[in-house]
Amino acid sequence: MQRIDLTHYFKDNLFSNNIKANSKQDAIAELLDMFVESKYIRNREIVLEMLHQRETLGSTGIGKGVAIPHGRTTAASDVLIAFGKSEKGLDFNAIDHKPVHLFFMVIAPPNDDGNVYLPILGSLVTILNDKKNRDALQKVEDFSQFISIISGD
Amino acid sequence: MVKKDLELLVSLQDIDLMIEEVGDVEKLGFSVTGYSELRKAREELAASISKPLLFRYERLRAKLKRAIVPVKNDICLGCFLRQPTAIGVKGREDEQIFTCENCGRMLYWLD
Ligand SMILES: [Zn+2]
Repeated sequence: MQRIDLTHYFKDNLFSNNIKANSKQDAIAELLDMFVESKYIRNREIVLEMLHQRETLGSTGIGKGVAIPHGRTTAASDVLIAFGKSEKGLDFNAIDHKPVHLFFMVIAPPNDDGNVYLPILGSLVTILNDKKNRDALQKVEDFSQFISIISGD
Repeated sequence: MVKKDLELLVSLQDIDLMIEEVGDVEKLGFSVTGYSELRKAREELAASISKPLLFRYERLRAKLKRAIVPVKNDICLGCFLRQPTAIGVKGREDEQIFTCENCGRMLYWLD
């Protein structure tokens, strides 16, 4: 699968290095609220519903402290990714039952230009499979530092 | 609160999009243990939508893949035709369902 340059899909208003949620449900809402507050999403409830259905299909907590809640929704027009970091970690019903510290929420429209959505998810998984990247993200302090980790500089 | 028809349809399409790509997402390494629960949720949601509207959705989906498409800056993101501004004012209320005159898809206003 093609490796995508992910840096275009992150925004500084979709970045939080201090996720306050203590539960899976609250973490999903807190990440989604970044999209709502930045006006990328108008109808919060519809997207929240989609994200909950996605967790019904299987936890997006892929293990090693990482969760990638994701989905296409008719209530979005562009592919965007929010990043959140929780210092203390939280129970996300992850496949390895470990607490999750790093969150990447990927929201995509029903169709997207060049069908980048799945390759984006694939590239994220590849980046996060690398322990070096996970360790660096755990310590990330600001958006520009974050982007340099994601771009591999 | 009873959700509006258009919102129910959007949620239904969102689940259908998910079902479409279950195999792809699994290949990327995501666990998909709840496929039958998702199908069940889909059927329950479908049952709460009026029959004629559901029929219209299914027919559009069979023909055009996406039955409902977002509208942004008055542009139908299904075919990129500009929609009349007057429709947009009403469309944003999510009360009535409008269709794109060009591609026939139902419209959902994003902004
Ligand atoms: Zn159209």
